[in-house]
Amino acid sequence: MSANEQAPVDQNEIRRMLDQHKDKMKTALRVCAHCSLCADSCFLYHVNDKDPRYMPSHKFINSIGRLYKKKGAVDRAGLEEIKEIVWRRCVLCTRCYCPLGIDIPEMIALARDICRSQEVYFQWSELEQPA
Amino acid sequence: MYDFIRGPLVWVAFLVFIFGTAYQIYRFYRLSRPKEPFRLRIPFGKPPKEPDETPAEPVLTWWQQVRLSVVGVNPIMTAVTTIFHLFLVLTPFFVLGHNVLLDVAWHASLPSLPEVLGDGFTVVVIAGGIFFLLRRIFLDRVRAISTPYDYLVLLIATAPFVTGFLAYHQLFDYDTVIVLHMLAGEIMLMAIPFTKLVHMPYFFINRFVLVHENTLGAGGSRIWR
Repeated sequence: MSANEQAPVDQNEIRRMLDQHKDKMKTALRVCAHCSLCADSCFLYHVNDKDPRYMPSHKFINSIGRLYKKKGAVDRAGLEEIKEIVWRRCVLCTRCYCPLGIDIPEMIALARDICRSQEVYFQWSELEQPA
Repeated sequence: MYDFIRGPLVWVAFLVFIFGTAYQIYRFYRLSRPKEPFRLRIPFGKPPKEPDETPAEPVLTWWQQVRLSVVGVNPIMTAVTTIFHLFLVLTPFFVLGHNVLLDVAWHASLPSLPEVLGDGFTVVVIAGGIFFLLRRIFLDRVRAISTPYDYLVLLIATAPFVTGFLAYHQLFDYDTVIVLHMLAGEIMLMAIPFTKLVHMPYFFINRFVLVHENTLGAGGSRIWR
């Protein structure tokens, strides 16, 4: 695992994956009116004291949106941040509500795919063990 | 400049709006596919019984359902946004000044609102814009995803109404204000397909075309590819 952490990020591979879904991502990012009406549909938003970082739109804008805007030019630290968003702040329950029909879970799942392609993913061993 | 803004640019703006919006709708159809009937395959045993036609009793009362919906969770936002959008779209068609111009140009026009109502609806749209602005500045969750672009688009959407209000009341230099009013309207039209104002067609796509539990009407016909 440590060897993978040191390996450089294959930005060409990320760009290839982004290109495959370019139209869909572009549409989702453009249609999002930043209205925040999705917030209350997320149970994680509610159990985390309505922290805006748990809002579905915040999660997809800062994961796949970030990858898209940077055209895949992210380093390992950037992917680790995205990993935090797409695994720890979202469980892909697909219950989020978007008044404009954006498929937010698909965007999160795509961000997960891209992280996985660079060997960045959630590990059970990272969970704090109950005392 | 004046002649360009009141002449060719009007046509350019309408063409960009119409073809741009049509292109965005076409893109949606390319990115989605028709829903498929649900098929349950049972390889062995008896075939499944025909589904019971009587709808199941809803678990929640209608009032509980409303309370849990976006209307119940965000009642003020829902009310303001509904009124804002309705008046934003409808007012320009029925303002007296617009219809006088149509009548002069084409000898045809839509019915007009009394001037007082046209003016009042404009104020409602501006008030809605101020509500969205304050919400964006003061609500944590909206501020968290706001960028300068969001403020710019809000300005683009409300500028035709602000300048229209100023022109009607002849505040500031009328000749300048009326040119700005025409320009603001044209910019807004052209911005609809290419900015987040594209939520204009997407609102209807979401409510009537996409299949999900909040679809209205016939229950939708397409899902994301």
